[in-house]
Amino acid sequence: MRNKIPKLPLIFFLIVLSVFLYLLLIERNPSDVPSAFLNKNFPKFETKSLFDKEKVISQNNLKDRIVLVNFFASWCKPCRDEHIYIKKISDNEKIKLIGINYKDNKSKAQKWLKKYENPYSEVAIDKNGKIAIDWGVYGIPETFIINSKGIVKFRHVGPINEDIYKKIIFIIKSSE
Amino acid sequence: MKNNHILILILIFQVLCFNSYAVEPDEIFKNSAQETKARIIFKNIRCMVCQNQSIDDSSAPLAKDLRVIIRNKIKNGESEKEIYKFLTTRYGDYILLKPPFNKNTFALWLLPFIFFIFGLFFIFHHNKKFK
Repeated sequence: MRNKIPKLPLIFFLIVLSVFLYLLLIERNPSDVPSAFLNKNFPKFETKSLFDKEKVISQNNLKDRIVLVNFFASWCKPCRDEHIYIKKISDNEKIKLIGINYKDNKSKAQKWLKKYENPYSEVAIDKNGKIAIDWGVYGIPETFIINSKGIVKFRHVGPINEDIYKKIIFIIKSSE
Repeated sequence: MKNNHILILILIFQVLCFNSYAVEPDEIFKNSAQETKARIIFKNIRCMVCQNQSIDDSSAPLAKDLRVIIRNKIKNGESEKEIYKFLTTRYGDYILLKPPFNKNTFALWLLPFIFFIFGLFFIFHHNKKFK
């Protein structure tokens, strides 16, 4: 027993060290915070449309279908980088795309969508960022996938790249 | 002599180097009790953009938006608990700089004590062995 005691701290230290090494080596972004809405109902909202001032966009526009909600802005460079993938996703007829235009100038946002093509079924205005806060958004662009039951199945902070695009397509297929 | 001058300069800069706060003058409450309550809450809310700063220290636009929302809630008479609930339902417990004790954070809170007890146990046995 006496001989075993000095070995114990070493074993304990090695276990702790291997846990830390594992967390360092696995592919993860420690600053990527999981959404508080994951596997929960999406937050309700009601706002005006970017293209039709008479039209109201609300949670009712997100019902009974798989929906991709994308927070974007014309002043946001990463939004332009991911736009090609948003357009590719919009080719999939099973998914409805809702854009939420975050703290933007209305006419600049309209021109931006005209220039780079509008892949969204609806574009809602979030003039003061309140909707974004209600959705727990902290970095533009941000993308959510909601299944047909209104449950948030995925959230990505930052621009969509090839890997995230593939992941989104996989989630759309598995949410059907 | 030259070294002394440098040392004096360093000391002067140290004295002048106060903590910088991001709270802007137009945000501040006239009621000092409300202002104190707001600042206590701000210091415990993580800036989700900077992540290692509180919203009291951060100049990020989101931090300012959250400060404004919190001030409006204080003005409307909401309690600290209600304000924290509003924030954690949107951003999770991660938004709190002092995480609560629950099933996700128990290791974070208990491991230092476990390490401490383990250390004491080891020192006790180690000393006993060499007596």
